[in-house]
Amino acid sequence: MNLLCLGVNHNTAPVEIRERLAFAEMHLPENLREMLKLDSVREVTVLSTCNRVEIYASVDELDSAINNLTDFLIKHFEIEDPAAIEFYQKRDEGAARHLFHVASGLDSMVLGETEIFGQIKKAYATAQSAGTTAQQMNKLFQQSFRIGKLVRSSTKIQQGSTSIGAVAVDLAEGIFGALDGCKVMIIGAGEMSRTTAQSLVSRGASSIFVSNRSYDKAEELAAELNGQAVRFDDWEESLNDVDIIVSATGAPHAILTHETIDEAMDKRRGRSLFIIDIAVPRDVENEVNEIESVYLYNVDQLQRVAENGRVRRQEQIEICKVVIEKHLEEKGIGALQNVPPGIRKQIENDEESGGREPAVN
Amino acid sequence: MDDKLLLSISTLCFLGGFIYAVMALRSGSHNPSRWNMTIIGLGFVFQCWFLQVRGQLHGRCPITSGAEILVFISWAIVLMYFVLGKAFRLSLLGTFTAPMVFVFQTTALIFLKMGDTGAQRKPEVDHWLEMHAALSLLAYGAFALAAVAGIMYFVQDRQLKSHTPGKLFYKMPPIRYSVDALIRLLGIGLLLLTIGIVSAFFMKEFPSAGHLIVSGAVWVIYGLLIAIYVMKKLTPKRLAIAAVGAFLVALATLVVLPDTTSPL
Repeated sequence: MNLLCLGVNHNTAPVEIRERLAFAEMHLPENLREMLKLDSVREVTVLSTCNRVEIYASVDELDSAINNLTDFLIKHFEIEDPAAIEFYQKRDEGAARHLFHVASGLDSMVLGETEIFGQIKKAYATAQSAGTTAQQMNKLFQQSFRIGKLVRSSTKIQQGSTSIGAVAVDLAEGIFGALDGCKVMIIGAGEMSRTTAQSLVSRGASSIFVSNRSYDKAEELAAELNGQAVRFDDWEESLNDVDIIVSATGAPHAILTHETIDEAMDKRRGRSLFIIDIAVPRDVENEVNEIESVYLYNVDQLQRVAENGRVRRQEQIEICKVVIEKHLEEKGIGALQNVPPGIRKQIENDEESGGREPAVN
Repeated sequence: MDDKLLLSISTLCFLGGFIYAVMALRSGSHNPSRWNMTIIGLGFVFQCWFLQVRGQLHGRCPITSGAEILVFISWAIVLMYFVLGKAFRLSLLGTFTAPMVFVFQTTALIFLKMGDTGAQRKPEVDHWLEMHAALSLLAYGAFALAAVAGIMYFVQDRQLKSHTPGKLFYKMPPIRYSVDALIRLLGIGLLLLTIGIVSAFFMKEFPSAGHLIVSGAVWVIYGLLIAIYVMKKLTPKRLAIAAVGAFLVALATLVVLPDTTSPL
């Protein structure tokens, strides 16, 4: 039997095409069983996320299976212009390598992200419960989970934040530790404020104050974040209590001056204050960073930290690939196909012992 | 086993701990605390062994010379590190603790090579004197760790202010915890020093005026430092700088004190 991966992802197809090819979660088990009825197809699993639609299949004859599955997709999604869609095809070791790359986050839009790992697990579980997997798919996906964990634990692919929101949260945790006791003031209720505030809330910040020139918008965002709206004329009064300020107003001049913060810090008596200024033009005077225990980051500075994180992750790609190649070399695609009794016993032992990962130098 | 050999092995462990921690931090792929703790733990065992051998030699607490005092302070630092490290999530403190202990013990080894005073037995052991000296040196250990926490705060503050938080920043405990640890260590040190000084008044031989003045001065410095911070008149950065400065002063008192058998 041969292994096949057929699909599109964010690198090969725009969102307009990906959304047309997305499988409905509710009907996926039924769709999987339909695909299993196709000639040559012996086992099948579908990974359908916002960034990719991939069919992994164990097949008797590769070319025939590719044609049958492609026809199925065109028919199922009622694609009128099939020539507009180019499915990539990965065969045998290439298919296994591709899944290992995907599971390790190497094929993701945000390099090294972990969400894909859960999505693969879910895809496999769906196929299992639909009864469309057997020995080859089981081995392939179990190995991909092992590889995904191994790559993440033995390389630095996950290190460093790569987005402004994540950088802001990491810095906040570096200053205050757990964010659950932190008070956050959001000044300006725009999209950037919402995104950054959501990042902080997702890591435990629970006491949120929102201030905006339009009080209605402040109330709206405060309700969304389970916080409290503060009138724009009153936000300065809260300065003594908050730990983090996220400022993103459309004001043409600085609204947080050195004098204002300096006065507030006198009353705060040394408690640290983290100011995230994501407004352009900036909301906070640059000199504010010179005040003791005040840490001011503007959008460029946050971008720079995020860029460093991205560069660090890029540098890890080759190391991750070595880990994957070493695994393929050791286990080989043969392990997924015709399993000799000795090897089968070893795999079974590995599974019984919780899937120990081989050491990597 | 020869006491100098024991101290050499212990010192090498701390050098190893320091090198390993720096390498782990540079690579970023390992958790430095587990291995660091093991190596430092091994250094601590040999430290204890050295002090036990020296204690048997003198028939009392082994703080009879500059070299022994340095080892005893190092022992106190490592003890504090183990007792407080986990509680305050300061396992990375080992990165800064290990080099400090390495320097102290290397100096002690040089002193011992230059001239070991040998057994310093006394016909009668004054337990108040032993307690006074031991507690005072333990207090110095706490002050040393407070200084280390101060340096840590300083490094974190500098990285945050310059907008270049490196790998080291993300490996350290939150900057707020560094300040908490610093103030707690100062408090523990002051408490131990207070008991140490009070026990001096029960000694068979009353301490000299010089000792009283110097130990009183150290007590006042740390007392004022804590009082000013508690009154919120000192920012964390200034507290960190003051903790380092105060420890240098405290360390200097060990040098200027004429009789090292009673460090305060």
